[in-house]
Amino acid sequence: MWWKILSVVLLLYVFTAGLLVPLKPGITYVTPAAVKTGQTVELQLHGYNSFYTQSPVSDIRVWLEYDSSNAIAGRNIRVLSDTTLAVTFELPASLPRNTPSVMLNAIIDHPADGVSLLPDAVEMNRDTTAPATAPATATAPATAPAPAPATAPATAPASWTQTPISQLHIKSDFTFPYRNVIYESIRNTYFHVPMWFVLMALFIASVINSVRYLKNPQPEYDRRAAAYAETGLLFGGLGLITGMLWAHFAWGAAWSNDIKQLMTAVALLIYLAYFILRRSFDEPEKGARLAAVYNVFAFSSLIPLLYIVPRMFASLHPGATGSPTFGSQDLDNTMRMVFYPSIIGFCLLGFWIASLRIRYQRVVDKAMGLD
Amino acid sequence: MKFFKTRIFLTIILFLAISLPALMAQGNRDYMRETGKINVSVGVILLIFLGIVGYLVRLERKLTKLEHQINDDKNEWTN
Repeated sequence: MWWKILSVVLLLYVFTAGLLVPLKPGITYVTPAAVKTGQTVELQLHGYNSFYTQSPVSDIRVWLEYDSSNAIAGRNIRVLSDTTLAVTFELPASLPRNTPSVMLNAIIDHPADGVSLLPDAVEMNRDTTAPATAPATATAPATAPAPAPATAPATAPASWTQTPISQLHIKSDFTFPYRNVIYESIRNTYFHVPMWFVLMALFIASVINSVRYLKNPQPEYDRRAAAYAETGLLFGGLGLITGMLWAHFAWGAAWSNDIKQLMTAVALLIYLAYFILRRSFDEPEKGARLAAVYNVFAFSSLIPLLYIVPRMFASLHPGATGSPTFGSQDLDNTMRMVFYPSIIGFCLLGFWIASLRIRYQRVVDKAMGLD
Repeated sequence: MKFFKTRIFLTIILFLAISLPALMAQGNRDYMRETGKINVSVGVILLIFLGIVGYLVRLERKLTKLEHQINDDKNEWTN
């Protein structure tokens, strides 16, 4: 009984904390999104969950960053609102790379909000209409290192800062990470992902009982194996549906034939066949025996389908290249404090539901004289 | 009577689960794509809740059937 109460308490905590804890401040977009070399331009940075007015303007720092050694510091920062900053940038006449354009990250360092970053926020294009001397200085350091530094300051209005970003403020309160594209739906980590942990736990319980049935054909083992597999399938279905809903708004389509989606669907269909097999025999004992054997095979196909094959192909799903379901970037310590209780809570709930199913089947079997 | 009630309830759950993204995108506001996308999480929680409730309703139906069978109450026997 205690574990049922624990499951409810944990899930209550997960629903409350998982939905109410705010996200860290972030940058949603920057206008204008494209600039030219040599311009002096005022950009507006739009924040999310940010409180720009809460610190003196002199303490706010803003950069456009190309890489760790090429950045432009913003000047004349004006706080328009809690979520809008206007910053003037004197853009260098050259690009750090010999391409028509580069993408720059926007970085805001704020004493109260901490540091926030928007990758590829601004596209910086080479100004082809500018005097020929400007692009020339861009390639000059590579070909003629000696005269270039002398001429560069004279022709270029500004240059790339070489040691740009340091002493950032790290915000250390109880907030979830801000991620572009998914934003608040990062909270699905506490609801979509535990479904798969429940599926795994229940399928493990199911295969254990199938093996026990093969060793010692008691009807109780078969009942348990079937009930755990059925409940596991329920959570697998919920995981797939919630994943599709999330994918619809994060990947752009509910079903994109992603390797992770395909293999999961195959795994669920394999388990669906387990029930068809169980019911397709007139003698319950024969069906139970074959189903137990099938369950062992189904379980051994589950591991490659869910955890090995998706690693070997490109996938939209997080962690496709490293760990099978998660990248190391996808969880931080604040999220762990909700994520782990969620796994335990949902697993206990799964076993609770399965136990109801087992008790029901026990009564049916007794009534029908099978046990 | 009870049988029809649960059947209607299950149909509603199924309908909601399938049409949730479409329902949320009705009219001028696209609730799912508003800044923050919080309603994607709301939808996910709703689907999980409805799925579990749907399973429990199905189990309850089976149980009711079993109770009637054991009590051999032919008058209540609807399914």
